[in-house]
Amino acid sequence: MSTPTHDDPQPGESRPEDPRPGDPAAPDASPENSTAASAPGSVGTADMDEPPAGGSFARYLLGKIGGAATSMVLVILLGFFAFRMLPGDPVLKIAKERPMSPAQIAELYRQYGLDKPVIVQFWDYLVGIVTGDLGESYVYRKSVSSLIGDYLGPTLLLTATAAVIAIALGLWLGQLSAWRRNSLFDKLASSTSLVFWSVPTFWLGLILLMIFGGTLQWLPTGGMITPGLDPWSPAGIIDVIKHLILPVISLVAVVYAQFLMVMRASLLEEMNEDYLTTARAKGLNEDEVRRRHAVPNALLPTVTVVFLHIGGLIAGAVTVEAVFSWPGLGKLTFEAIRGPDLPLLQGTFVVFSAIIILMNLAADIVYRFLDPRVRRA
Amino acid sequence: MFTHHTSRRHGTLRKGWQRCLAGAAALALAGSLATAPAQAATSEAPADDNVLRIATDGFVDSFNPFTSFYLVPTNTFRYMYENLVANDAKDGSVTEGLATEWTTDSDGKVWTYTMRPDMKWSDDEPLTSKDVAWTYNQMMEKDEMAVANGSLVENFEKVEAPDESTLVITLKKPQANNPGQEIPVVPEHVWSKIDKPSDFKNDEQSVGSGPFQLESYEANKSITLKANPNFWRGKPKLDEIQYRYYTNSDAQVQAIRSGEVDFITGLSPDQFTALEGAKNVELNDGHGRRFNGISINPGVADAKGKEFGTGNEALKDKKVRQAIRAGIDTETLRKQVMQDYAQPATSFIPAVYPTWALKPDNKVISGFDVSKAKKLLDDAGWKEGSDGIREKDGKKLKLRFLTDADNPIEENTAKFIKPWMKDIGIDLDNESTDVDTVSERTTKGDYDMYFSAWSINPDPDYQLSINTCGQRPDADGNGGTSQDGWCNKEFDKLYQAQHVELDKAKRAELVQKALAIHYEEAPSVTLWYPNQLEASRSDRFDNFTKQPTDGGGIANQVGYWGYASVEPVSEEDAAGGGGLGAGGWIGIAAAVIVVLGGGGWLLSRRKKSDDRE
Repeated sequence: MSTPTHDDPQPGESRPEDPRPGDPAAPDASPENSTAASAPGSVGTADMDEPPAGGSFARYLLGKIGGAATSMVLVILLGFFAFRMLPGDPVLKIAKERPMSPAQIAELYRQYGLDKPVIVQFWDYLVGIVTGDLGESYVYRKSVSSLIGDYLGPTLLLTATAAVIAIALGLWLGQLSAWRRNSLFDKLASSTSLVFWSVPTFWLGLILLMIFGGTLQWLPTGGMITPGLDPWSPAGIIDVIKHLILPVISLVAVVYAQFLMVMRASLLEEMNEDYLTTARAKGLNEDEVRRRHAVPNALLPTVTVVFLHIGGLIAGAVTVEAVFSWPGLGKLTFEAIRGPDLPLLQGTFVVFSAIIILMNLAADIVYRFLDPRVRRA
Repeated sequence: MFTHHTSRRHGTLRKGWQRCLAGAAALALAGSLATAPAQAATSEAPADDNVLRIATDGFVDSFNPFTSFYLVPTNTFRYMYENLVANDAKDGSVTEGLATEWTTDSDGKVWTYTMRPDMKWSDDEPLTSKDVAWTYNQMMEKDEMAVANGSLVENFEKVEAPDESTLVITLKKPQANNPGQEIPVVPEHVWSKIDKPSDFKNDEQSVGSGPFQLESYEANKSITLKANPNFWRGKPKLDEIQYRYYTNSDAQVQAIRSGEVDFITGLSPDQFTALEGAKNVELNDGHGRRFNGISINPGVADAKGKEFGTGNEALKDKKVRQAIRAGIDTETLRKQVMQDYAQPATSFIPAVYPTWALKPDNKVISGFDVSKAKKLLDDAGWKEGSDGIREKDGKKLKLRFLTDADNPIEENTAKFIKPWMKDIGIDLDNESTDVDTVSERTTKGDYDMYFSAWSINPDPDYQLSINTCGQRPDADGNGGTSQDGWCNKEFDKLYQAQHVELDKAKRAELVQKALAIHYEEAPSVTLWYPNQLEASRSDRFDNFTKQPTDGGGIANQVGYWGYASVEPVSEEDAAGGGGLGAGGWIGIAAAVIVVLGGGGWLLSRRKKSDDRE
């Protein structure tokens, strides 16, 4: 896996601009930051680009873990105070439009633990987090931890399917586009992906729902499985797949562009390397040169970007789950906001943030292993 | 997270922008067309002919009638548990339930009910007055059992069952409103054996007396109810009712179009109009039991009269409040904002309760009248300034109007009202914010006007009670609930008088008088009674019962009429949805394979012939 010397890859920062016509072979490494909009990406890449001078691996690892732990602490603090600062009293919201006596209202405050001073509530929350107890949901009257456990599965099914498809599609189209840049195929593939990327997820979801659910009636309009079917029976599995199609398309359509663009930029950089000329000189045809030599090298910076975006993909499920009534963590969060179901909001917020932080940490570590320069440093 | 990437990439598309866009559209269409049918080739299992599927997005905490207060469980209780007395479908008036008849002593303090003989719970155990007494006593004795309906038994002194067919309720203070309404009665033989009945979820195989019993519940997936053969009015014609979860109301609309659900409710006027002409979809534009209005801060104060909040001093003068009413053209609002899917309103008791609602011919009622509004403001001492805005003692008449930014009806109303207020010399500042902020600020009295909405039960007593002085909460929301934070001694007297008046005609007259005072004092302007917009699948079910039967709504009734009468339509009519036969699917799948394969082959050809750059 050793690579010849090449420029600093800057995986997250290549601008997918076509090389100017008069300068077809110009490597495309414009520093303009194009993924700034996707929050998890930009933070991580800035650190990774500069390998710590003379640091041992243990030190590097400790540094990264320390950073992640700091973020986690901040998330936990924010999780408590941010939602409490928001307007809206969960009990008064229930009492509105409903005959409730003062005694009933007081009883609800007591049951929700909202009659205690904020500092006591905060202490209970901290103790709870440390012991893995995230409190009890107001609406579901169940422990938040068990709720999150119940709803994590469907979210993972949805996002993992979408991630695999988006990554495979993005990388495959990306390397083809780069290899034949400026061709009609390149223009079509790149611009389509960018059009989809600019589309709001919920809007795309609703349009798909209208066309394929309501009008053509090919696919179900919501949920994960038709009620009453056993999910592990063959009919149940087919039913779940049918329910998966539209949400997965919505998620994939909106995110695959970033994988395409990264792969395309990364491969463009490899394309005028000497080793490719050598490969051609050995008599390999274009496809073989691309597959055996260029793509493996170009994949290197791509892998870390992929890791960075997986965390974000899970968070992106919130919108899609709300549109397609997918019974996952995203829908749980969406409904918790409506409550407002404070313990549940805190719980999903902490869990989503933890996933993103862990994925960023994983990206840092994977990068360290993949990039020989960082590894040797 | 991925929704709003600002496209800094437009540079990419400088060349051949239009061509690329066209290509993108083509690819998109091809892409989605290609993926969908290939997977959908297996047709959906046919829906059970006798299961009514209803879309919902409501919260469920549990199905425990003592503790759950969310809308979906509350509506389900009405189907699971018969009340001591029911509210009929025609106009919501009190009718027989578990009790066949009832009497009260001369002042309305002791109510004696005679139970229907030989009733059975859904598990075949006998249902007697002992069950009723046990249920009511639980709520009276234990705080944690009174969470949902405690206010309904607050006035109960004691409840006794001297024999199996008689129930006696002794009240603390006399009341005219039948105390046996809207309290679900549970079987003692089941609930008394539960250790902590307030923690009981009651979410499968329920035992009850109503037309349907809860079979199973899966959070955020489905709620299944089964017909109860022991229901005293007879077993319903439906086998099951199945609620299915749809988070998004637009998705519900698609689900009724595709026939995945048989009934949806709570549509917006736009969604309702969009469904017009949809195949096999029957629409119901039902008169509702809600009102929408503008609450005007009359100088909110707590029950002891201590004022709080930031309400504009000008609004304490009822002339200013009346001027605001006269300056609002509610008829235009009803037609433009509600697209005519609302009924003209008088006061806060909706027209679906004709006995109680303030009659439109009452002499206090005044319409839209700009010159009258101007005169009222002149009389109140607010003189027009150079810029057209009125002022008094050097202060401009500037008011704030709070609306929920997510609610298009509130936003549109605000847009109409602002220029109307300017016409009469009031500078209206529309503050649109989120619903939680509205709720918090109105609790604290930090408002001048806000858009309000309430749902009204068949008996007006509760809604009248929250307009009395003693029901006003303090700035933390403790103490009570008040509709408009308003207080009027005369209204309070009329409230008390109707509260104990057993003669229905006399009571109606007192209610009219009380509503007339509220109207004249104008602590709120009732804009309209919104219609309940619903849709059902006419190819699967018919015979829904509305409440009121003449032009009312099907869902959210006070009672179990809506779905209990539903029957499936005959087989022939039900067949032939929009689906394709197996042959059609195979054809589509084959076409897709050809297209995909062919495309792939073409691409790979191109690749080979491509020159190196």
